[in-house]
Amino acid sequence: MTATHRTARATRKIEKTTANADASTDATYATVTAGLHTHLVALLQTPLPTSEDDLLGALRGTPALRPAVDRGIASGLRAWLEDGVFAALGAPSAGSVRLSTSSIAGSAPRGGATALLRGSLVAQLVRLHVAGVEPSDPFDDAACALEASGRDDDLVTMLCDLDPDDHARLHAEVLAHASVLAERFPRVSPRWMPRCGVRQAIPLAGGGVQLRGIVDVALGASGGERANVCLIEVTTSVLEARHERVLAYLALLETLRTGETPLRVAAMSTADGAFVVHDVTPTLLAAAVGDVLQAVSECGGR
Amino acid sequence: MTSAVHLRNASAGEVAAILREPSPPAEVLDARLRAALSTRLRAILPRRGGPRHRIDGYVVEKGAPSFTGPFLWNARAARRVLGTPAARAVASGVAGDPLTAAASEVDRLATRSVRPGARPGGLALWLASAPEVVRSLCALEAAGWATSLLGCVETSSPLGSVAVGIPDAWFEVPGAPVTLHGRRDAAVGAPSGADCRLSLLRLRDGLPGPRAVEGLALDGLVDALSAPERPLPARVVGVWPDAGVTLVVAFDGDVARAAAREVLVAAERLARPLQTLDSVPEAA
Repeated sequence: MTATHRTARATRKIEKTTANADASTDATYATVTAGLHTHLVALLQTPLPTSEDDLLGALRGTPALRPAVDRGIASGLRAWLEDGVFAALGAPSAGSVRLSTSSIAGSAPRGGATALLRGSLVAQLVRLHVAGVEPSDPFDDAACALEASGRDDDLVTMLCDLDPDDHARLHAEVLAHASVLAERFPRVSPRWMPRCGVRQAIPLAGGGVQLRGIVDVALGASGGERANVCLIEVTTSVLEARHERVLAYLALLETLRTGETPLRVAAMSTADGAFVVHDVTPTLLAAAVGDVLQAVSECGGR
Repeated sequence: MTSAVHLRNASAGEVAAILREPSPPAEVLDARLRAALSTRLRAILPRRGGPRHRIDGYVVEKGAPSFTGPFLWNARAARRVLGTPAARAVASGVAGDPLTAAASEVDRLATRSVRPGARPGGLALWLASAPEVVRSLCALEAAGWATSLLGCVETSSPLGSVAVGIPDAWFEVPGAPVTLHGRRDAAVGAPSGADCRLSLLRLRDGLPGPRAVEGLALDGLVDALSAPERPLPARVVGVWPDAGVTLVVAFDGDVARAAAREVLVAAERLARPLQTLDSVPEAA
């Protein structure tokens, strides 16, 4: 068979595959090599359901269909940011501007000490969930984890000083969030390299501007041929438009930090179990750059 | 001032290649520097029954002790101690993933604590007495550390392996209440080789500060002091994965002397409160 014949045959198969996809059949077809040297074959692993019931399924998708890692975009984004910072602030002194997720996307309405504690305790429950622990008493276990974390001593003191009424209310709230978390956040395999509380700290303008973020849960490792890092933001509030901006910002920082674009980002609310998942695209990253430069120019205007 | 090469978004393969770069001819630490440093430290921090001091990269960079209150174990403090052997287990193929390896390390230490001779105040005893929830949290934190370490350097390739999770370097200054502590998370080179110079890697949190290079130079100096028969390390590589920054310090005799001066400056800062107390005249 000549090369022309093989190509023609492969083309017919692609048309057939497209028809199959349109018909929403279960099987997905792909070539084994990029150059269409082989017949199209059905993938052994059919796409994971991306319904609203499966957060990790929607995040991870089908491994074989993940895009190649884009290692060129980070330097372009950084150059864009550096130019924008210089235009807004000139050459700021080291550490003079620090931006966080709340600077970029706005923060949730303040709910006092109880809301702060609720967020911290639920964050500990997320960690325990990822570590594979099934809490017997979610509130006590979360409080125990908070105390042992070594990061939030002020919050531990605040928890100890809480009056009985507030304590009882907080207890009830944490149990409700724990229930949603257990029901809606699937178990995470250790093979997916889960990390919690991943810190991002990107210096710009020689350290004059620092972009900081914390990813609640990160899955997958960078360095491969295909993008496979997924970032999850877990919030105790109901999902709002600002969470979309948080996701874009975290994806931007991850791209600048590792030099590779992550695969997808997701936000999940433990208030009602809702979640959103986004592919990380150049458009999403460009929107995040716009948000950062907006925040930088606001800093310059003060 | 010690200089360094600054890299951004260096891949694990690139960091491994830097560690494996051929090193300049072997050079050993000047014995006079070692003796002079010990003499000066004895003069600055005389042994008077006061507290022992530890000088490490943090002290040199920040100009203050790592912690001022009594030390208490927590998940954050334990993550490197647990994460380093977890990374070693994954790199050597003993464990399939960092979280499983870290959980095994937690269990191993907790089991070891019941043996006679367990160190009071040590991590093993703390883990053994901690609830299951805390042990799981420690394993998760350690897995995060191990994943960062394994992600910042390619541990095996046809060019040779990178030793992950090697012990830190320590130097007890004879006759002075001070210990020098050099951290190192990975290395290339045979530690027993007569003319082989080590390349050291250190994993760091956050952003590199303005004195990060001096901290890395101290790590190299303590490595040299801890094994005077071995050549000086060829380079010390600091990786800040939070920021995607890598700094490479080429280490030689001049850098060692500069690092020794930084140790003396840090010791003088530590001694200042003592001298202030000594200089207060007694009440009439």
